[in-house]
Amino acid sequence: MADGIRIENLVKTYGEGETAVHALQGVDMHVGPGEVVGLIGPSGSGKSTLLKCLGAVIEPTSGRMTIGEQTIYDNEWKIPDLRALRRDRIGFIFQSPYLIPFLDVTDNVALLPMLAGVTNAKARAHAVELLTALDVAHRAKAMPSQLSGGEQQRVAIARALVSRPPVILADEPTAPLDGERALAVVKILNDMAARYQTAIIIVTHDEKIIPTFKRLYHIRDGRTHEEGGRVEPAS
Amino acid sequence: MISLAGRDILHSWGKFVFTGIGLGLLIGVTLTMAGVYRGMVDDAQAMLDNSGADLWVVQRNTLGPYAEPSSINDDVDRSIRAMPGVARAANVTYLTMQIGHAGRDVRVMVVGIKAASPGEPGQPPHLIAGRQIVRAHYEAVADVKTGFRLGDVVQVRRNRYKVVGLTSRMVSSGGDPMLFIPLKDAQQAQFLKDSDAIVRQRARTARNPALNPPGNPGMVDAVTASQTSNPYVNAVLVQIKEGFSPDQVAEPIRRWQRLTVYTRAEMEEILVDKLIATSARQIGMFLVILSIVSAAIVAFIIYTLTMGKIREIAVLKLIGTRNRTISFMILQQALGLGLIGFVVGKIAATAWAPIFPKYVLLLSSDSVRGFIAVMVICAIASLLAIRAALRIDPAEAIGG
Repeated sequence: MADGIRIENLVKTYGEGETAVHALQGVDMHVGPGEVVGLIGPSGSGKSTLLKCLGAVIEPTSGRMTIGEQTIYDNEWKIPDLRALRRDRIGFIFQSPYLIPFLDVTDNVALLPMLAGVTNAKARAHAVELLTALDVAHRAKAMPSQLSGGEQQRVAIARALVSRPPVILADEPTAPLDGERALAVVKILNDMAARYQTAIIIVTHDEKIIPTFKRLYHIRDGRTHEEGGRVEPAS
Repeated sequence: MISLAGRDILHSWGKFVFTGIGLGLLIGVTLTMAGVYRGMVDDAQAMLDNSGADLWVVQRNTLGPYAEPSSINDDVDRSIRAMPGVARAANVTYLTMQIGHAGRDVRVMVVGIKAASPGEPGQPPHLIAGRQIVRAHYEAVADVKTGFRLGDVVQVRRNRYKVVGLTSRMVSSGGDPMLFIPLKDAQQAQFLKDSDAIVRQRARTARNPALNPPGNPGMVDAVTASQTSNPYVNAVLVQIKEGFSPDQVAEPIRRWQRLTVYTRAEMEEILVDKLIATSARQIGMFLVILSIVSAAIVAFIIYTLTMGKIREIAVLKLIGTRNRTISFMILQQALGLGLIGFVVGKIAATAWAPIFPKYVLLLSSDSVRGFIAVMVICAIASLLAIRAALRIDPAEAIGG
């Protein structure tokens, strides 16, 4: 896990021939362990396609991607079990928390390890540990519908962290939150990245949080441009 | 392992319970339909059991006395009694009719039996109140389902009968309760005409020169007398002696008396496979339709519930949940719905079965079969929702 997530010359083309759409045209990106980077770009620039490739939801047409020392894609080659990869090595945070409405907070967080075969008691204990770190342990028995937007997003962060994945992909995690709560979520992500040495990529349009990234990737017409050293993360 | 289906059901229990109740009432109707068929079969078997007969002797080439009209002379029983292997033989008549009593109509099967002959075939084998018929005329024993009480007087055709005994589970294969009256009265009831018809018949006979030839005045009287008496019964019920098989006794009766004889097994086949076969097919059609409707309802409900969770399923798939876990969750929910439905249906069927006018027999074996059928139907019905869930793209959880 020494190297976080790295992609080299990633290409994704939808369709063939004259109707082909070149969504990604040789993207390079590297996010180290414990690092939080932003990914911004206008609509249609390829953000979602890049996020889906990074999340092993769709396969790139060519290029290389590694997580730690494990190669995920290498041009035509890919690891055989992308589902297990998503379960064990990639955490997801969405624009809406998408918590499972019929599970309480603890089980929402503990679900993934439970499905992976960890005993319920052990998975729940670990979930409570994370909820404590995220300051929502007092809502551990609450149902998602009883939580505020900020609490729901913190639970979603705990769920993303529960498998201790080396990479977390966050898709507009602060979109439904006001400025103060949005900055609080970014601070939590930075803290968690530092604590668990997780590489976190945040796709965002949120002007409030963009200045908080140490490094920022712009994506335009399927190509990334790196920008860095803006301001310190929110404190 | 956490049960996602169980948690979802607990979370939205109201939706599941109310849907289950709706489905349950449908299952209750299905179980009741099966019970109606079982009741018909049981009524037929009870009628044969309670008749006490081993053989039914009827008019040649008929399926009498229950499935077809049968008419044989009422002195045949004497010659049958003399046949080898016959222990007892008794004449009986059967007539289904409507009887007015206490301001309501009661449909009964009037059975003519020999009075004061306990133990003879055809007699009601047990009484729950009163006594057997001991007088040759105007006494009756009624099944309790008629609603008659001891001491009631009921009218059958032109005669009135006092109810002296009550019996139970004595019904026709159609479920009509039996009313036993003396044989002679029953024979009269079957063929006796009203006074006007008798007068017209006499006049018609007197006008016929073949029946009233000049110079032979006694002939028309003899013909008239034969027209107003009924020397026929519908069947002779036979009990066989120990050590004889039914076929062994039946064969000489068929050969020498030139009558048709049915054994218990043959009579049961006539009643179940012929007399109630159409009803059974009718009920079978209902069962098939109800099963299809139940399957459609479960499929629709489970599909709707699943489609309402597209995002959650996409998230589950995205975070690495196995397809089989998601499929199992949907299957469990369908089975859970079926289980709720079956419990409600079983309770409903048990509660309303006694209210039905005809006997509804709910067998445990039918319940087990019904339960298995419900589970299979629910499992099949969930396939549509499972297919839809498996087609959900995990990428749907990621915006854009």
